[in-house]
Amino acid sequence: MATTHIDSELDARGQLCPMPIVKTAKAIKELGAGGVLKLLATDRGAVTDVPAWTETTGNELLEWHEEDGVFVFLIRKAG
Amino acid sequence: MPDQEKLVIMVTHGPEEPELATIPFVMAGAAVASDVDVVMGFQGDGCRLVQKGVAETVTAPEFAPLAGLLDAVREFGGTLLVCAPCVKSRGIEEELVDGAEICAAARFVAEITSATSTLVY
Repeated sequence: MATTHIDSELDARGQLCPMPIVKTAKAIKELGAGGVLKLLATDRGAVTDVPAWTETTGNELLEWHEEDGVFVFLIRKAG
Repeated sequence: MPDQEKLVIMVTHGPEEPELATIPFVMAGAAVASDVDVVMGFQGDGCRLVQKGVAETVTAPEFAPLAGLLDAVREFGGTLLVCAPCVKSRGIEEELVDGAEICAAARFVAEITSATSTLVY
């Protein structure tokens, strides 16, 4: 599997809903079109919030997985 | 931007009910982060939440602290409208957070009738 290039990483571990999304929105604004953000979150709500947010905002959720209780998301900024 | 979605969120619970005070800010935070135009309307005890220094005292269990949510709503350009008689009766007209705007019923009606949806808490 090809490795996705990560342009920026956001650690939202310990942040409660909706702060992971709020911080993601800020971090995505700072990326160029097509840039990829890696988001780390521990709030279980992020599992449904992140796909809903990417759908609403037109950004792309490339993949997500859980790793030792941490939810890891790769999001590509719309371009 | 005519295509911009707009959500009006009416807040009527104050710091004595931290969960019901916080939930509208959670919805507002998620909305502004999703590029939705947000107008929060504070009536009754809800207006206490935009009195300087009060948001910092409100944290509901398992919710993000209210002060950070309020900051997020303001940072993303959300509008904070506060009921004129509600702040007058509480003597807090001069103590509101920066950006909070005192207004009357017709402004609320105008915001609500031009919104995509309105939530009332």
